[in-house]
This record gives sequence, C-alpha cells and structure tokens, in this order.
Amino acid sequence: MRYLLFSSCVVLLISCTSAYKLLQATEGDAGSLQKFKPAFSVALYKAEVEVMDNRLSGLLLVKKMPDSSMRLVFSNEIGFKFFDFEFSNNGKFKVYSIIKQMNKKPVIKTLRKDFELIMMNGIGNKNVQIRKDDGLLYFSFKQSKGYYHYITSISGEELIRAERASKRKSVMEAVMKNYTNGIPDSIGITHKNFNFTIGLKRIIR
Amino acid sequence: MRRLIIILTLCVTCNSLHAQYPGYAPVADLAKFKTEFSAATKKTLTIKSDFVQEKTLSMLSEKIVSKGKFWFKKDNMVRMEYKQPFQYLMIINKDKVFVKDGQNENKVSARSNKLFQQVNKIMIDCMQGSTLSNTDFKTRIFENKNSYLVELVPVVKGLKELFKNINVVVDKKDYAAGSIEMWEISGDNTIIRFTNKELNTTIQDALFTF
Repeated sequence: MRYLLFSSCVVLLISCTSAYKLLQATEGDAGSLQKFKPAFSVALYKAEVEVMDNRLSGLLLVKKMPDSSMRLVFSNEIGFKFFDFEFSNNGKFKVYSIIKQMNKKPVIKTLRKDFELIMMNGIGNKNVQIRKDDGLLYFSFKQSKGYYHYITSISGEELIRAERASKRKSVMEAVMKNYTNGIPDSIGITHKNFNFTIGLKRIIR
Repeated sequence: MRRLIIILTLCVTCNSLHAQYPGYAPVADLAKFKTEFSAATKKTLTIKSDFVQEKTLSMLSEKIVSKGKFWFKKDNMVRMEYKQPFQYLMIINKDKVFVKDGQNENKVSARSNKLFQQVNKIMIDCMQGSTLSNTDFKTRIFENKNSYLVELVPVVKGLKELFKNINVVVDKKDYAAGSIEMWEISGDNTIIRFTNKELNTTIQDALFTF
C-alpha cells in the first residue's frame, strides 16, 4: 500500500513536471527560422480533418493578398465553403465567413492559433528564448497565453516540428515537410488534449 | 410628376431584370415551358457526361477548377467522380450519400443532415426536371435562343443564409441541364458545366452502389 502511494506520487510529480524544464539556454540565431516560414503566394491543399471521430475532407486555399495579409478559405470538394479567415501581418485576425456549425468561439480561437503557428508571422519578434536538449534547438516565443515553440535540428538546417504549448506542456504539434519554392508540400496538425487533427497535402494545379 | 416617377421606376426595374442575365429575357409562355420541360425530362432516364466545376472566390480573385465524370439515373441516383486536380467520389443513391476521398470512405445519411438533404435535392431536381416543383425556392424562368435559365431563389431557412440564388441553364434541344450555378450571399459562386452529354444510354445500377 505504501509502495502504491509512493509510486502514485512519483507519477503525479512526473506528470506535473514541465516538458521544457530540462532544456538548457544556448546561443543561437532566430533568423535561421526565416527559411522555414512558408512563402505562400497562393497554394491549394487537399485537407483532411478529424474531430472527435468525425471526418471531414475538403480544399484549403491559402493566398497572400496585395496588402500582405493572408487569406485562408476552406471548402469541401463540391464548392461548399466552411470558413474564410484573414490573418494580417500585424497579428490582426478577421472572420469573413464561417458556417453555423463551426461558428463557436473555441473553434475559431483554436483554428486561429493553429494557423498562426504554421504561418510563423511572429518569428521576427526579438523576444525569443533559445534553448537546447541533446539533439534539438528550441526557439520559444511567448504569446499572450502560452508559447509558440519552433524546434529545429541542432544545426538549424531542419525544422523538426512546431508546438503550441502552455508553460508546462505541448497542446498541439505541427509538422511542415518537403518545401518546394518555399511552400511546404505537407502540413500536419495534431492536438494533444483532444482528438483533432488536420492533414494538408498540396495540390499542384 | 408622380406618374413620371412610376414610369421611370418601372423602366429601371424592367431594365435591371433584363440586365441581370445578359442575352436572356423572361419566358413569354410559362405554361408552355412547364409542359414541355416536364414532358422532356420524363423521357430522360439516364445522363452521362463530363463536367468542369469552377469555384470563384470573388474577394480573393481566385478560381478553383476541377474536372471529372458525371452519371445520373432515375430515380434519385447521381455519381460524381472528380479526377483533376484531386480524386474525389460522391454517390447519391436515394437518401444516402457516399463519399470517398483518397483511401477514406464515408457514408452519410442525407436524412441526418438537413442541409445536405436540401443540396442533394437540388442536384437531383436539376437532373430529373423536378426543379420547378421544389417549394424550397421561388422560381423565375428566362430564355435566349439556345437555352432556358431557371432561377431558383431560396425561401427556406438554411438555404437562404447560404445561397442568393441557384441558376440552372437548360439546353433547349434536350431540356437537360447544361450548367448549374450556385451564387453565394458572399458573392462567391460555383459553376458546374456539363459537356459531352449522352442521354438515355445504359448505365448499370452498380455505379451507384457502395
């Protein structure tokens, strides 16, 4: 019984420990992240979304507008539009349209933050914390709530993943792979706290 | 003065009605159109065609074009196979909808989703000529030399919030839908154009099973 109590406490302590606590501060250049920032002019992706065992497929169009803002339009294959979002360079965000079923504050907030992480608009921020562990470099940017982490190989040549996180643990992970002319061919988003994933595969038109 | 205003208003209204669909004028003999349309579509048992779908995002000045094959069979069976630039299959069989995208398959009961049911009904109605009796819409008919334009303005909740109007362009020679235009409230639109149409060829039921 005493052993059980002890092991329970250990498990509890481990689960409360920050996943980022063991990282060591290091020198580095956040400018090296610029090469991973997707250079979207216009790109069309085939999208697969899974939310709580419901599947949804569609097309995501990403387009840089003349004023440098980014528009994201998600529709199904038949042309039915689910949402149309605008992300400005100064961090502003606008919902042009969204279907009733998705028009809920937590849904919009989650999608906004997920795509903000992907678009990497905040990496110019000087207030960056650079740390490392055995094989990875962590570039961490504090947000109003939580952190955006961009995790590269030690050499800085490869973007391993990006994370949205609380102070202690990651709540969402994103990967961007196979860049062609600065645009990732595949993008994957996985949430940790609930079953919500987005998979994007670029369509060459 | 008041009479002048009324006359001017009427002229503007008439002009705008014509200007709405350039080259089209309201159908002179509506009863005749309805009878002929109904008779012709009764004879259409199957349609096979290619299609080009063009989604215009007006504010983004962007078009998404996709192409594929289309099959229709009476009653209530549609198969749309998108081949370019992505693979996607949608089968409507009575009140069941099946979609396959890549490796993933998904059966949807149209009954469980009212909007899906309404959109499903539009597609089927357009093909089997029951468009005119669909009470979800207020209908106006226009014509030019080669075609009729059936304008459907949604009057029911759900559709009204999505579409300003849906237009079906019907070829005069075979009374089959040449194109379906879905105009959204936002100004965006999706136009599906049917080409290489073959009417009343044999189409196996197996194409609509899943």
